[in-house]
Amino acid sequence: MAWPADQRPVIVGLGMTALGKVYGPTSAQFAAEAVRLAVTDAGLRLSDVDGLLTSSGLTGGVSVDLQRDLGLTDLRLLSHMQSYGSTAAAMIQVASLAVMSGTASVVACVFADSPLQPAVGAGAAYGTRRAPAGWWGLLGASGVIGANPMYALAARRHMERYGTTTEQLGHVAVAQRAWAALNPVAQQREPITLADHEASRWIAEPFRLLDCCLVSNGGIAVIVTTAERAAGLAQPQVHVRGWAQAHPGHYLRRHPDFGLVTGAATAGPAALAMAGMTLDDVDVVELYDCYTFTVLVTLEDYGFCPKGEGGPFVASGVLGPGGKLLLNTGGGQLSGYYMWGMTPLSEAVIQARGHGGDRQAAAHDVVLVSGNGGVLDHHATLVLASEAGAA
Amino acid sequence: MSVGPVSRDAATAEFFDGAAAGTFLLRVCPAGHSSEPAVAQCTTCGATDLSWAPAAGGATLVSWSVVWSKPSGDAEPRRTVLVIAELDEGPWWWSQLVDADPDDLRVGRRLRIEFRRASDSDEAVPVFALA
Repeated sequence: MAWPADQRPVIVGLGMTALGKVYGPTSAQFAAEAVRLAVTDAGLRLSDVDGLLTSSGLTGGVSVDLQRDLGLTDLRLLSHMQSYGSTAAAMIQVASLAVMSGTASVVACVFADSPLQPAVGAGAAYGTRRAPAGWWGLLGASGVIGANPMYALAARRHMERYGTTTEQLGHVAVAQRAWAALNPVAQQREPITLADHEASRWIAEPFRLLDCCLVSNGGIAVIVTTAERAAGLAQPQVHVRGWAQAHPGHYLRRHPDFGLVTGAATAGPAALAMAGMTLDDVDVVELYDCYTFTVLVTLEDYGFCPKGEGGPFVASGVLGPGGKLLLNTGGGQLSGYYMWGMTPLSEAVIQARGHGGDRQAAAHDVVLVSGNGGVLDHHATLVLASEAGAA
Repeated sequence: MSVGPVSRDAATAEFFDGAAAGTFLLRVCPAGHSSEPAVAQCTTCGATDLSWAPAAGGATLVSWSVVWSKPSGDAEPRRTVLVIAELDEGPWWWSQLVDADPDDLRVGRRLRIEFRRASDSDEAVPVFALA
């Protein structure tokens, strides 16, 4: 990145509320708490924040009104962003551009959601509301409701084309649960086996329950500033070294690559090129994992294995604690917590700082992060590093 | 599972008129490209002066998923086969596959469009059946 070293973007703060079956606070209250926690974590004060980027989940409730809730005055950057699961990484990109250009100097990026209610199942709480009119009503009346069948259709296509199996998907679930067992804030920490995966009930074939992410309440915020401003703050610096987005643009349209190739295939290499790195430089990988399949196809698209060989690759023993590929080290969305793109991003910051406790990667200089939204429709990549790049 | 209730709005009125007559209507541009019925511009050339034209009704299977309803009590969970189908005119469509054994499916299987209604007062919904 050809840019004055002291103006390059650095993540200096991370704030995470209680996550999971946490009832009571609204999404806006979770968001405000997350920003306060992130500011404190950074060693800053709320009055230092001059940029705010907000985002919310399907239940909404977070908006630019968060400025008022936090008593932030005289902001120089304020916007609500929404590109679904790619939003968190996209917010870091906008915040980075803002601090590099001097548009703002300390930018808080926040996501919060509160879909869970007491005594309502996670599936019922999430993504199954549909107005019965017009094109969306027709889709729902046809039975195509929510993300589960849409991603299942993608996964089936991959299986039919490349021979990917449900057992291979199970390897992703088992490995991530093993990581979650080492993460004190993960929602599901009880180890599972491939047999447990095989025995879990069908949701939408080829997905079983253990192929699907959790649903969580809570909020996570990240603070981005310049390298100059980051000097002397409270936490180890996490440098934003590369980024890219890819939005293929075929949602509910004919799309020959559907389920086979995603935006990760262009965003991943572009982000690494911006950082002046290759996959060989990457120590830790934090991928958006709404489903086990999302992990598998993203690994292929990023180039960790050839296209179509994601199944044998994830089943080859490379995953899980002690494996060669340190992937979704906090348990991810499958077993950790579901904060959309903030799940991989938060764990990436924790790992890059060296604050991962029992699950900390020994080498953590470079962390590759993905965000994925829609039905493989929106992709964003970040390359984070514990060291600033060469001038 | 059968289809659910759906009502028309301004954007879907002509499509549902076609469905009521047993016809799946596509959007066709002056150059003759076919697009999915919900588009506002041609997916091939971007033209916005689109007309409606009936699909022939043939399709091939692109992908499928068997969706299981959440078990309640002793009742057997319901299974619904959802598919993406490529219409012979090119566009894709997402709906149910009715009256088919999900264990007997493969990509490229020939399908045909049929219509089902949740009730007499609801609009006709396109579904697929094995050809």
